[in-house]
Amino acid sequence: MNQFEPKIVGFLCNWCTYAGADLAGTSRIQYPPNMRPIRVMCSAAVDSVYIVRALMEGADGVFIGGCHPGDCHYVSGNYKTRRRMVLFNSIMRSLGLDQERVLLRWISAAEGKRFAETITEFTEKLRQKGPSPFKTLWEV
Amino acid sequence: MENEPKMRSVEEQKGRLPVASGGPVATIKEVCAQWLEQGILSGIMMPAYSIKGVAAPVLFTDPQMVRQSGVPFLPAMGVNTASVVDEMRFSPAPGVKVGVFLRPCEARAVVELVKLQQVVLDGLVLIGVDCPGTYRTADFSELLDGAVVDFVNRFLQDQARYLNDERFRTACAMCEYPTPLVCDLHIGFLGMNPGEALWVESRSEKGAELYKTMNVEPVPVPESRQLFLKDFRAQRQSRAEERIKELDAKALGPENLVKYFAACLNCHNCMKVCPVCYCRECFFESEALERELDEVVRITRHKGGMRLPQGTLLFHITRMNHMMTSCVQCGICEDSCPVKIGLSVLFKKVSRNAQKEFDYLSGRSLDEPLPLVTFREDEFRTIGE
Repeated sequence: MNQFEPKIVGFLCNWCTYAGADLAGTSRIQYPPNMRPIRVMCSAAVDSVYIVRALMEGADGVFIGGCHPGDCHYVSGNYKTRRRMVLFNSIMRSLGLDQERVLLRWISAAEGKRFAETITEFTEKLRQKGPSPFKTLWEV
Repeated sequence: MENEPKMRSVEEQKGRLPVASGGPVATIKEVCAQWLEQGILSGIMMPAYSIKGVAAPVLFTDPQMVRQSGVPFLPAMGVNTASVVDEMRFSPAPGVKVGVFLRPCEARAVVELVKLQQVVLDGLVLIGVDCPGTYRTADFSELLDGAVVDFVNRFLQDQARYLNDERFRTACAMCEYPTPLVCDLHIGFLGMNPGEALWVESRSEKGAELYKTMNVEPVPVPESRQLFLKDFRAQRQSRAEERIKELDAKALGPENLVKYFAACLNCHNCMKVCPVCYCRECFFESEALERELDEVVRITRHKGGMRLPQGTLLFHITRMNHMMTSCVQCGICEDSCPVKIGLSVLFKKVSRNAQKEFDYLSGRSLDEPLPLVTFREDEFRTIGE
């Protein structure tokens, strides 16, 4: 039987995390190919609807990458992302859903290694968790 | 945090308003009619009931019609009055001043709408009333025997029954806010003998203008009222805990959540009637979710089948993310649900937990910024690290 390979939808901020991912690539750092990156202009541009939609349609995890607090290209976007994440996590807990399938992490353009490590860790964690229950729930 | 209302630009004035022989409802109606007659207010919005069975907020400009059809304290709720206030456009109109009767949950929703920049308070005077609970309008018409004013007078008097009234709307039976948090003028009756006197507080300059026409005898809050409210809140809180426990037993987790929303038709009524779901155009009614046939087929291949209309749970979970910090737990969503999904208790739980994260309470204060438009640099440090 094939080993389960988690599918991760990634939303990467244009100014930091996307460049960090680029650096990981140009530095030839190896990391699992499980994440499908989507470049967004700011982590604050990721409305909850995109996260929930990815989960409902069967993604095993959602990754959001933004600039470190204080470094946002738009001054305060990531501070707002952080609050939205607090809200998102609270709602997931209230509904008995697994908040660990959604990961927000600050990764700068200089942190290619941190990017590769983050994706490696997240992929490994999801591999251990197994497939998302929504993967087969067609009634959503 | 305490639920301290914050509209106090002037010193609060408060006292008892003696009730005339016609009873509490007639007393307040007469006060309102005179505000219109003397030009203190240009209009007044209050609950009204007509023999045709219409129980709704009505905007009155004719004092005679207030005397005939107005029913302050009407315990029937079909819409959240904040929604109809939200429908007004607010352009500067000096001299126009409309008094709006609001139940505590409705006043809280107005406060949220002000902060969401949907309502402007300039032309409005918020008249908050005590509310121990309401009936769905259809249930109210069934309960009503005889004249509506007599019914409401009896309702105000018979306060022992509030905690056990089985016919109250689901949200009301769990509501721990029987008094308005923010308003200009507050008219109360809980813990009083409404046959003799009502409780009136002025909490702002606008409120003071109305207050001074009312012949209020200044006295401290009666002990009976304090005790009543304390006991009432405690009992309602424990009722809410019970309901949430029942919810947790059947609605937690992916499978149970699907079951809980199984009957959902995707009609979006809950969104349309929600006072704080304020967007003029909803994402979920836009073209954003429409897809080409080939794309739908491709996406469906992941699971092999797709329930239609698509995105039921997506709608509900996302809607919670969009408005739970402003939810006032009025439960009008549940009343409007054609398939009776238990939204009141679910949103009670989800919104309470969400607001707690930010030390926020919807409708508590006009000065507290909305949780999602503000931030502090030194908070939630563990997230993202």
